[in-house]
Amino acid sequence: MQIQDLPYPDPGVPDARSGPRFLWWLGRNQLGGQFKSLAWGLLHFVSVCALPFWVGLAVQAVVDRSGSRLALTGGLMALCGAGIAVGDTFLHRAAVTNWITAAARVQQLLARQAAHLGSALTRRVAAGEVVAVSTGDVEKIGWFVEALSRFLAAALTVVVVCVGLFVYQPALGVVVAVGMPVLAVSVLPLLPRATRRADIQREKAGRATELASDTVAGLRVLRGIGGEELFLDRYRRASQEVRHAAVRSARMWSLISAIQVLLPGLLLIVVVWHGVHLAREGRITVGELVTVYSAVMVMSYPLRHFEEIAMAYSFSRPSARRAARVLSLERVTDTVGSRAAEVPAGDLYDPATGLLVPSGRFTAVVCGDPDAAGRLAERLGGHPAEAGTSVLLDGVALDELPLASARTAVLVQDKDPVLLSGSLRELLDVPSSGAVGAEQALAAAQCGDVLVALAQGSLDTDDPMDARITERGRSLSGGQRQRLALARSLITDPEVLVLDEPTSAVDSHTEARIADGVRKLRAGRTTAVFTSSPLLLDHADRVVLVHEDEVVAVGTHRDLLRSEPRYRAVVTRETEEETALHNAADSGTAPQNAVADEAALRSTLDDHDVALRGALEEIEETA
Amino acid sequence: MIGVAPPAYDPAAPTTANTLPVGAPATVRAYVSELFRRHRRAFLLLVTVNTVAVVASMVGPYLLGDLVERVSDGARELHLGLTIGLFGIALAVQAVFIRQVRLRGAMLGERMLADLREDFLVRSVGLPPGVLERAGTGDLLSRITTDIDRLANAMREAVPQLAIGVVWALLLLGGLVVTVPALAPAVLIAVPLLVVGCRWYYKRAPAGYRSEAAGYAAVAAALAETVDAGRTIEAHRLGDRRIALSERRVKEWTAWENYTLWLRSVLFPVINITHVTVLCSVLMLGGVFVLHGWIGVGELTTGALLAQMLVDPVNLILRWYDELQVAQVSLARLVGVRDIEPDAGDAGLSPEGRDVHADRVHFGYREGVDVLRKVSLEVAPGTRLALVGPSGAGKSTLGRLLAGIYAPRDGRITLGGAELSRMTAEHVRSHVALVNQEHHVFVGSLRDNLLLARTDAADAELWAALGAVDADGWARALDEGLDTEVGSGGLALTPAQAQQIALARLVLADPHTLVLDEATSLLDPRAARHLERSLARVLDGRTVVAIAHRLHTAHDADVIAVVENGRISELGSHDQLVAAEGAYAALWRSWHG
Repeated sequence: MQIQDLPYPDPGVPDARSGPRFLWWLGRNQLGGQFKSLAWGLLHFVSVCALPFWVGLAVQAVVDRSGSRLALTGGLMALCGAGIAVGDTFLHRAAVTNWITAAARVQQLLARQAAHLGSALTRRVAAGEVVAVSTGDVEKIGWFVEALSRFLAAALTVVVVCVGLFVYQPALGVVVAVGMPVLAVSVLPLLPRATRRADIQREKAGRATELASDTVAGLRVLRGIGGEELFLDRYRRASQEVRHAAVRSARMWSLISAIQVLLPGLLLIVVVWHGVHLAREGRITVGELVTVYSAVMVMSYPLRHFEEIAMAYSFSRPSARRAARVLSLERVTDTVGSRAAEVPAGDLYDPATGLLVPSGRFTAVVCGDPDAAGRLAERLGGHPAEAGTSVLLDGVALDELPLASARTAVLVQDKDPVLLSGSLRELLDVPSSGAVGAEQALAAAQCGDVLVALAQGSLDTDDPMDARITERGRSLSGGQRQRLALARSLITDPEVLVLDEPTSAVDSHTEARIADGVRKLRAGRTTAVFTSSPLLLDHADRVVLVHEDEVVAVGTHRDLLRSEPRYRAVVTRETEEETALHNAADSGTAPQNAVADEAALRSTLDDHDVALRGALEEIEETA
Repeated sequence: MIGVAPPAYDPAAPTTANTLPVGAPATVRAYVSELFRRHRRAFLLLVTVNTVAVVASMVGPYLLGDLVERVSDGARELHLGLTIGLFGIALAVQAVFIRQVRLRGAMLGERMLADLREDFLVRSVGLPPGVLERAGTGDLLSRITTDIDRLANAMREAVPQLAIGVVWALLLLGGLVVTVPALAPAVLIAVPLLVVGCRWYYKRAPAGYRSEAAGYAAVAAALAETVDAGRTIEAHRLGDRRIALSERRVKEWTAWENYTLWLRSVLFPVINITHVTVLCSVLMLGGVFVLHGWIGVGELTTGALLAQMLVDPVNLILRWYDELQVAQVSLARLVGVRDIEPDAGDAGLSPEGRDVHADRVHFGYREGVDVLRKVSLEVAPGTRLALVGPSGAGKSTLGRLLAGIYAPRDGRITLGGAELSRMTAEHVRSHVALVNQEHHVFVGSLRDNLLLARTDAADAELWAALGAVDADGWARALDEGLDTEVGSGGLALTPAQAQQIALARLVLADPHTLVLDEATSLLDPRAARHLERSLARVLDGRTVVAIAHRLHTAHDADVIAVVENGRISELGSHDQLVAAEGAYAALWRSWHG
């Protein structure tokens, strides 16, 4: 795989049973790249380590007063230089390619995993983990996978040079051959502690960044009410902690550098002492002494890869473990379903609460407890986070349908729909029936002022459709965000649309217009709105009151206001005393009738008696 | 064609206008020199320690050259013991000082970095509220995260390493010139190649790395969004599109990786060839000199070894130089905040009384477009005024003007006779507080979250404030009470609890006038009910300007102002407005049935 061919058409199925297995899987999938990097690495390292031989030869040639041998060494050196340059460049290219392809593969796997998990990712821990792997761990994983072949090349070179020196000059070579392994492993015992300190430093830095961004995120609150000094002091403390941790970590690394100077230096001294004796005895030439000296100096370069691989492994092991865990997460319910992919149309019925959303009508649901409302809304879409009794659409259990079919049939817009960043055009480009255009939907959701604001705020365009929406729509107000989300859901134009508090942040003037617009746009389609706003409730064909997970009253807004004190309490927000007053005045007989109606409707649903249902609806409307 | 052109799509290009200024080169230069002045001693120390280490490292080649000279001359007395002793001393000095170089370098870098990030936050926290309202916090946030991160690398590594590299290279060259002057010109042979190659590279590299980093960040951002919007994506069946988007981001990012890889594919051979050329020319030229008897074998050996040692500092300089260039852009963005004029208020200006008065106020965010036109209002102390009207009519803008966040373009807004826009932010907020839908819960303890409103408050006062907003029930149930960590990463509070904390802060700050802008609008309407009772207790006796989304808020107000199209179109009590049969009356009927 070359960089320019990325992304992978298919990143494959990872072996995510454990961290090391995952690393192994990544490495195995780029064997060709690993071999390339090994081959170029060998050329590079061997060429670098060959230089001292030519230096020694050149010195010896001069000592021997041989101009021709000096020229020959010059030629050999130039050749060696070409080997170094070509080897280095292509080693780097192969290594970076291995790194990038491994990182890209993991990112692609993560994207697929995130899309697959979908709503199952809302539990904060899992969501945070996926993001952490993508931002922090991928780099470390790629580093280790890439460094493997580079390390192998360096290790082989060290062996080759030691053997070469031994053959070239056994008496001195043996000293080097004994010394090298000691140098290679000398700092390894210090590395775990050094990496641990580096981890602590990173952790503290992360904490400081978190504090800073948190302070900035709440800056308007701080500026509005005070306490800047309190937060500055806190940040200063965190910042100084980072500094201390970093210096502590630097102490360890500086010790390692000192050892990296000291040990090769000692070996050099031994080489010089021993070498000079040998030279005086005439057993070696001066050039050979210079070669061995200079070889020991150069060897520190391949030797550094021993530390690098140890570090890369200690950093990447926890990263790989996290990645493997994230990639092996599964959804609670299966997404395939037990039925064929079909998109049913008809009444939506929830057996657990008795809630019925009749086909083609605009139903409003009022529920005293917002959390219960959220749960009920989620259940109406099928495939909820927790398994339970499934809702029925046209008598078909939604949970038994493939996930995609269930989502096509019923769109549930939750309380906090997220606006995805990108242009407005991209935001509104969602899988849809095609029957509702962007303009119609934006008009129905009263987005006129949002369009004006977007066009004014954008850098290079006057067309609001090209204007950019920032992440989560943060540059827009809460009400503007809600209206754009509503427009997006209207464009989708699903068979059944369930909206949970779609206008809670919209002012009353606009809300009234939205209620009207949505009702007109959804004429003949099935819509359910969870709300307690009278402006929306007044536009609904039927209003259902759910109390403690059970339907307790059905009717129109005005009827229920009159007849149902619990309804009045939720909708008009009157105090308990007022409720008591109303209760004394009214006698609540109507709700029971409504429940009877609902029960009757339910039975019609079971035997699909359309005529009877029509009759019952008439009764309900006249009631 | 050989080579790789930069990709057409640049992820680092700005998509929205910088909402805050970017520092001019002069500002950046002034800041950098101030930073160096502040750390002059540490800097000098680093250079000194480094010099000792480098000089010690040159002793080895020098001594070896000397030995080689004598061995090849067949000298009788080698003084081997003395030489080895000197070797050992030099090595010990070198090891000790190398350690110090690394340590001092890190200490200096960390100190400068800490200064930089703390300076930036101090400046950010001092920004005038008007600037924040207008610019939002997004740009500031990206500066304190992304830009600080990029600078961290530069400060922590690049600055000390460059200082070390430059000193090291100069000393080696100097050593070469001093010990074997004849060989110095040999080093210079390769310089032209290096200069041409590096100029080519550095012209392209910084922008390339910036785009590459932005491209990589975009890959992670796309995924983070997919994760964050999991429910929405599943509901709208956008999974496949998100995968496609991630793959497009990977493609864009790797295109830049490929480009910078090409840049390095040019630079690396240039550097390698330079090194070998230097070594070659020293040996060949030096060899010829020795053959002619102009220099000795020992000098040749020393020269060759020093030339070989030159590899490290040159690599160091090249390695860190582009990091510094990338960092420069981030530095300009951080320093840019210093260019914003701080709040120039008159600290001596003090209101007498509590009445708020707006007199023929005009205001617009942009030249020539007024959002508010000729608005006059009078709010007597203790009055509750509700602002109602359609979105975009100017309600929120009017609220911000009344809270002293913006200054009117024309006309005056006064509190107790003193002009709000001329008072300092710190002064204004002791009288007027703006409460909006931003119920930020700060990372930290519950205590910290309350203390910000009154830093010297005792725990008993904090509990009293929590009690005043009905929050003491759940707060007392917390295992660690006021020490409980809340905010992102800590205990997750419900929106209603976050709102209660915001209200408790108001109780502690105790301003006599409040501007409420959509304060409860993001809450579930049904959850808001309980809170509104707490709110009523907090508001008792204060002047309140409420931007009302819900008509029951308006219903409870003493005066209602209907804002339409930048003007106040209706003004009066609920009963008056209903009787007047205007826009408000129509809305009220449809709401209340």
